[in-house]
Amino acid sequence: MPAKISHHRSVCIASFVCVCLFVILAPSLMAQTHGTGALTGTVIDPSGAPVAFAMVTATSIDTGQVQPAATGTDGTYNFSLHPGDYHMRFEYRGYKTAEFPSATINENETMVLDRKLEADAQTNSNTAAPAQQPAPTPSNNPTAPSLEDLGITPAQVKGNPKAQALLDRRTHMLKVHQRLGLITIAPFAATLISSATAGGRQTSTTGRDLHAALGVTTVGMYFTTAYFAIRAPRIPGTQTRGPIRLHKALAWIHGPGMVLTPILGEMAFAQKNRGERVHGIASFHGPVAIVTGAAFGLAVVSVSFKF
Amino acid sequence: MLGKLLIGFLLLFPPAFAGADSQWVLDQGTLTYHVSHPLHQFDGVSRAARGKGICHNGQCDFLIAVPVKSFDSGDSNRDLHTLQVTRGAEFPIVTVRTRMPESASTSATIYLDLEIQFTGQTVQYKQIPFQRVSQGSETRITGTIPAKLTDFKIDPPSLLTMPIKNDIPVRVDLTWRPM
Repeated sequence: MPAKISHHRSVCIASFVCVCLFVILAPSLMAQTHGTGALTGTVIDPSGAPVAFAMVTATSIDTGQVQPAATGTDGTYNFSLHPGDYHMRFEYRGYKTAEFPSATINENETMVLDRKLEADAQTNSNTAAPAQQPAPTPSNNPTAPSLEDLGITPAQVKGNPKAQALLDRRTHMLKVHQRLGLITIAPFAATLISSATAGGRQTSTTGRDLHAALGVTTVGMYFTTAYFAIRAPRIPGTQTRGPIRLHKALAWIHGPGMVLTPILGEMAFAQKNRGERVHGIASFHGPVAIVTGAAFGLAVVSVSFKF
Repeated sequence: MLGKLLIGFLLLFPPAFAGADSQWVLDQGTLTYHVSHPLHQFDGVSRAARGKGICHNGQCDFLIAVPVKSFDSGDSNRDLHTLQVTRGAEFPIVTVRTRMPESASTSATIYLDLEIQFTGQTVQYKQIPFQRVSQGSETRITGTIPAKLTDFKIDPPSLLTMPIKNDIPVRVDLTWRPM
């Protein structure tokens, strides 16, 4: 009887293993039935940066069939091809066309073919050279569709110089805001560094004066920077989206911080000059300055880098 | 009896015998521009394209129009800067026109001459390859317009004193259906 149970258990285990193997191997078995191979790679420019939307063409040497594809924004492309030899062509305007005479695709294998495109001195010569000013076709054809055919009214096409002027003014002010903000980082950092000689036990009057002077410069530049952001025209009908929301939210931290820090600093400065140890709310000068600096730095980073 | 049937048939289906125009309408259209900067990259996408094609005497003329402000890069501040730098308030609509022989509409790859009006400039691009796939009665066209900022006299905007790349390829994905 125990032998019978043991045999039954073995059969069960074997069946279970078979089912597991089938589940694991089924996708690859199914893939093999497709009888294709893959060709993938990355197209880069001379600096090593990916070339987005470059044209990649695989031409079967056996059948002459052409398969075009485009690289993604990361410069990569992918083909699923029947086994055989393919002539590969990589092109993008402004670069010399690169070719690969014969890429062999094997069934169920992935071939990787990366290409670096060289800049073309006679830029744009072979493909897609834009010609300024319209030629006789296609826009001059009387049977061609018009914007009215698309339901676009003349009012929608008409430009609005006032709105453009508003956009121009906004961009100009925000450019100044950006530049001043970046410049403000320097005195801000110097103020934080000089705090080592202004606070604590080993301080000097010169150290405190330098720290205070740098602090005043920072605050002055900060509020000038803020002025250009606050006074930049608002564009009606625009909802705030994306990283700029974080940039604006952080202003609610570094803005009050920039008001509070010099007030607390002035109190700490006076206490030190009287030979007292910094005490009371003045002792928050350092921590508030650090939080303010961190929020300011993050505000700069939030609009400078993509996370 | 047969004559009446023939006349009735001709009355019911006159375009097929008169060689009249056929028309296409853009069912779905996505245009995506790509911007590269040393610190980051981003795409601006518009799904607000409208388009129509009219075929007449073996030639098809297509027009696609997209509002400049419909491009969304995921950041309202950046989109407003884009609108400013492309003079989108003065020239609110981008138009793309192309003409092709009706017979070419059956090829898997079609090469098109494009005329693009944008930022007050008219620029022509020659022999741009597009892929064509038929899906039932619909036809899907995909490809890339290898545009550059300088084509449209746009000064490359800078971030942290570094300008963006001159290349702004525009990925086009259009699904057309017959009217």
